[in-house]
Parts: sequence; C-alpha cells; structure tokens
Amino acid sequence: MKQPIIKASDHGLAGCHTCGKVSPVELGRCPRCGTQLHLRKPDSIESTIALMAAAAALYIPSHLLPVMTVVEIGVVTPSTIIGGMMTFWRSGAYPIALVIFAASILIPLLKIASLSWLCAAAGGWVHPSPAALGRIYWFTELLGRWSMIDIFVVGILVSLLQLGNYMAITPGPGALAFAGVVVLTMFAAMRFDPRLLWDRLDQMSAAAPPHPTIPES
Amino acid sequence: MLSWPKPPGDARLSACHFCDTLHRFSPVEEGISARCVRCGGLLYENRAASLTRASAFSLAALLLMVLVHTFPFLIMDAASMRRNLTLTGAASALMHQDAPLLGASIILFTVVTPLMLAGGMIYVCLPLLFGRAAPGANFAAKWMYRSEPWNMVEVFLLGVLVSLLKLVKVADVHFGIGFWAFAGVMLCMAAALAGIDREELWDRLEVAKP
Repeated sequence: MKQPIIKASDHGLAGCHTCGKVSPVELGRCPRCGTQLHLRKPDSIESTIALMAAAAALYIPSHLLPVMTVVEIGVVTPSTIIGGMMTFWRSGAYPIALVIFAASILIPLLKIASLSWLCAAAGGWVHPSPAALGRIYWFTELLGRWSMIDIFVVGILVSLLQLGNYMAITPGPGALAFAGVVVLTMFAAMRFDPRLLWDRLDQMSAAAPPHPTIPES
Repeated sequence: MLSWPKPPGDARLSACHFCDTLHRFSPVEEGISARCVRCGGLLYENRAASLTRASAFSLAALLLMVLVHTFPFLIMDAASMRRNLTLTGAASALMHQDAPLLGASIILFTVVTPLMLAGGMIYVCLPLLFGRAAPGANFAAKWMYRSEPWNMVEVFLLGVLVSLLKLVKVADVHFGIGFWAFAGVMLCMAAALAGIDREELWDRLEVAKP
C-alpha cells in the first residue's frame, strides 16, 4: 500500500519526547507534561559525535589500565578486563569468557561504530536503507546497558574478597574509565534523533506527494 | 474499542517517534498495537487490564525490594571468614576503596532507578484506578520514564553470576535470598512496564480528576 506520507514537523507539530502528545511547537513546552518541545532534538548530530568521541577516547585507557588489583598473600596482581577474560578462557569457562568479551569489548565498539554510521547517514554522507538504520538504532539503545556488567563484577569482588592478610581486592582506574565509556555511549545514543534519518531520505527523494493526507494508524 | 478515554478536544494525532510520520489516532482492539505505516515503529498499544497490572506488578517489585535489602545475594565462606554480598555493601566497599563514583553508580543503577520506576508507577497508577491523579503525578510519571533506560537490575544479576564463577575457585559460595528476590524484582518491573502503554498512561492522567 503506497500512501502519501506527511510528517508532524511539516505542520509545525512536535511529538513530546516524554508523553507523546502532539502539539504546535510554538507553545515551547508540552501542555500536558511540561517538557520542552522540539521539532528535532537540537544539535543532535554534533552532541552525539562529541559524546561518542569522548567515549572512544576513554575506551583505550579502560582496557589498558587495571580494573582491579588483587593482593593475595602479599603478591600484588593488577587485572585488566581482557586479562580477566583470558583467565576464564584458559580455565575452560568459554561461555563466561564470551559474555565478558561481548559485554566489555564488542558492545562498546559496536555502539561507537553504529552511532558513527547513524550520524554519517543523518548527515547525508552515506546512503543505507532507513529500515536497516532503524534496526541499528534499536539495537544500540537495547544493548548499551549490558556493558556495565564488568563494573558490577568489580564491585561485587571488592565487596566480598576482603579477607584481611590472606586476600584483598581494590578497584583500579580502568573501572572508572570503563564506567565512563558506558555512561557516555548511553548519553550519545539518547542524544541521537532517528527522525533525522528519514528527513535525509525525504530530502533525497524530493518529489513531494500531490495531496498529502494523514494516514489512519 | 479503545479501553481508555482520550482527552476531550484532543486533535487525536500521533507522531511516530522514529520517523515523525503523523497519524490520526484510531482505536485498536485489546491486545493489538498500532504501528507506524512508514517505518513500522510502535505508536501505541491497547493492553488488557493495564492499570491493574501496572499497579500490582510494581507493588510486588517494591515488596521484593525490601527482601533484596534485607538478605544477602551471595554468602561466601573463605579463610574461616563469612562474608555477605548486598547492593549497599558492594557500593560502600567501593566507596571505602577510593572509588566513590563507582560506588555511586551501583547505588544509582540498581537501587535508586528501580525504586523510582516501581515507586513512580504505583504512585501514578494506583490513584488512576479510581479515576484520580495523585498530586504531582505528572512530575512522577516524567521522572519514571526518564529513569527507565538507567535501570540495570538484569545486568547486575548477570554480574552476580559472573562473580560467582570467579569466586568458586577461591571460596565456598552460595546464593542468598537477596539474589532470588532481585530476580523477582527484574520480572515484576518488566511486567509492570509492559503492562501499560505510555500513551495510555498520559491520556489517563490528562483526563483524571486531581
């Protein structure tokens, strides 16, 4: 079914980010919940790129610096995320090693890569299909939180393994850097406005429909 | 037919969050969702017994949270010492080890956010069952939805499992009631959030008597 499509922004209408009510953007604030109304999130691409660049910069120290230091009978062993994963792999705990690999190494990289791709598409530098982009955006928002698992593991181990002189664990600077990566990529994903992708698509297929109508939902 | 009242004088328009396509609001059968004609994104869904479900599951989540903070997640015996893991214990251990931000992030993502979500949901939905809006319900609903992406209950649970596998090598570890209660919190919160559509909740708030 091919139907002429009109967008809320064509009529100066904005769907509220918080409550979804569609109101004229000149009201400034949503009459229902008081959230600021925007046709599109302001400076969406710029702030997404800035937050993402900060996350990418923190990603390097988060893997080079130890996330925790194990002191066992006087022997001090710093441990990185990758080191912890390798220990699981060598001891034959492959599923856990894969979970850590996915959550700590792969997901942040995939998130940074997919947000860059989305920003490039919204900026008009690449032209992939919008349906695929929608899936990438959904996936990025869904998976981001799981990277936090390593921070929680550090917290749990630090809390439990305080066995006096026998064994103690202290958190390392890598953990803070990694938490920074997770939080920054989450903010970057929230700042991105997927509607820009469709705006770009409409701009490219400029042929406007002769009689725009509002489709029944 | 639509089971919730639309605000009077409302233009009955709905804009897709993903592609901004404007739709005229039309009622859907119970259990049916309305999707965007252009990108297929979810517009709204008519959910069965929405207010009852949202209130009941968020109340259950709140009650389970009491158990979560009373009983340990893991109990570990090592070097003739017994240690317990709790959420606040993990956070305070990090704070005492010069990692106050990490400790605060544990508190924020596993204690504060779930509390805001479940507490906000029950504060908004329970009075709505009787057609009334609680004082400051708009504010509560706004912050409830804002806290949603930061809720990391399920991530912490997986973290407990990974830690357990690290710990079995050095100590005798077993699960405590706190772990199972937190798993219950995860399920109840997912059910509460899936219980009521965002559009429905805000429409009901708008027509409710203060």
